[in-house]
Amino acid sequence: MQVQTHVDINSEWGIVAARQAGRKLAREIGFGSVDQARITTAISELARNIYLYANKGQIHIEELTDSGRRGIKILAIDDGPGIKDVRRVMEDGFTTSGGLGAGLPGVKRLMDDFKIDSEVNSGTKITVIKWLR
Amino acid sequence: MNSKTRDAILSHQTSIIDYWLEEVSKFRSEDNLQSITNKVYENTNREFVDKLFLTVQNGKDDIYKDLILYAERLIQLGWPLNYITRGLQAFRKVTVETLSKAEENYSKSIEFFQEIENWIDEIVNILVNEYSGSWENTVFLQKMALKELSAPLIPVFEKISVMPLIGTIDTERAKLIMENLLEGVIEHRAEVVLIDITGVPVVDTMVAHHIIQASEAVRLVGAKCILVGIRPEIAQTIVNLGIDLGRFPTKSTLKKGIETALQLTKREIIEISEQGGITYENSNP
Amino acid sequence: MRIPILKLHDYLLISVQVELDDQTALKFQEDVLNKIHEVGSRGVVIDLTSVEMIDSFIAKVLGDVVDMSNLMGAKVVLTGIQPAVAITLIDMGIVLDEVPTALDLEQGLDKLQSELEG
Repeated sequence: MQVQTHVDINSEWGIVAARQAGRKLAREIGFGSVDQARITTAISELARNIYLYANKGQIHIEELTDSGRRGIKILAIDDGPGIKDVRRVMEDGFTTSGGLGAGLPGVKRLMDDFKIDSEVNSGTKITVIKWLR
Repeated sequence: MNSKTRDAILSHQTSIIDYWLEEVSKFRSEDNLQSITNKVYENTNREFVDKLFLTVQNGKDDIYKDLILYAERLIQLGWPLNYITRGLQAFRKVTVETLSKAEENYSKSIEFFQEIENWIDEIVNILVNEYSGSWENTVFLQKMALKELSAPLIPVFEKISVMPLIGTIDTERAKLIMENLLEGVIEHRAEVVLIDITGVPVVDTMVAHHIIQASEAVRLVGAKCILVGIRPEIAQTIVNLGIDLGRFPTKSTLKKGIETALQLTKREIIEISEQGGITYENSNP
Repeated sequence: MRIPILKLHDYLLISVQVELDDQTALKFQEDVLNKIHEVGSRGVVIDLTSVEMIDSFIAKVLGDVVDMSNLMGAKVVLTGIQPAVAITLIDMGIVLDEVPTALDLEQGLDKLQSELEG
């Protein structure tokens, strides 16, 4: 059976709720402690980006099965301002918020698959997947 | 296989077998089966052709079990797969040749050839499956074995542990090594960890990157890393590739590394004089 | 939610036992600095044994606490960072370069003592 969770991000508490939901599902799927930390951290980064730049949006977390492999898929959607230069935000150290600039490139390194669709003034959609080894 | 084909093959059983044995014995010299005695080779050939004829006689189903058992035994004894495939190719050739020389018209028909083709193909599939199944199994077991000997962390003194790395380091192994390393640091309460790369054949940028990451992670959990076992050629590649290992201490040998580790944990090894007394050299108790 | 800060002679001991949300982390930063100012501490140990996740924001807050405390004359040691957390930070490319670390609270205190007194 496929498990799905949605968390609305409209306050800082949403960030905490999203990563708790992610950790719970990751543990149920059978990820080890290191991968659980990777997945939780990635969710935290994605959720914070939504809160910081779009004010509100959603995190969808679901179990994934594909030709015998199992994994976890996280979808972060918002209809905020979008990202002007996608290549730029994937550079280490680039930040517009005064953070470490490790967020999105970090998420990419933490996960196995990373896809970003963004359009200025209409929103951003980021899909990431981690496969069970 | 239809009954006409079966009858045709069976009626020429003896000549097919003789011709086949002759053909297969030609492979003897090419095969990497030199270590096997002639007698065993002949017996195995005879058994092979008998099994094949059994499948002709009895048709499908449970008779293939016999053939599979035979294949399993060959796998265990380490006979190569091409012994079987060549044997089957020879069998097709021999059967078709022998029967096309025979009187009956049926054995010259397309249908007859197709029957033989299908039958041989099916047997090839079954036996190749057996072989590849056993290979997959072997690969899996070797992977498990590699995982098990993948970098244990050995406590040598209180607060000092050593991780000897042996063999090639790929990304998957690097991840495992990192996890073992950090769990071990916590478990043994190590303050200094020596990573010994004497047994790593090649240190390229990727391997160096993994080692640097591991040592940074070790620092985060609260211990120190010393890289030891740096052979001259490794030192050369590291510098030529422009890899910066400046951030953490390196030593040429495990021995020197342990001396440094003792210093870092404010200890030293002292000699005990023959009388049983202790000679303190510049000690500070 | 507030994280309790204990005073022990010249040192402050902090054990983070709650899931850090952004507000708690920022409040924590403020509280530590105020306490250093109030009691004139020379050293701070922040124990992170129970922390299951550090993302880039929390890493920045922690790094900032270290830098800010140093400015106020107090040395900070982070202790008990879990292996999974350390690996995740490294994967993200966050090295926390200048931050002193130790295995646990006890060793953290030892480290402070030897650096401040030795």
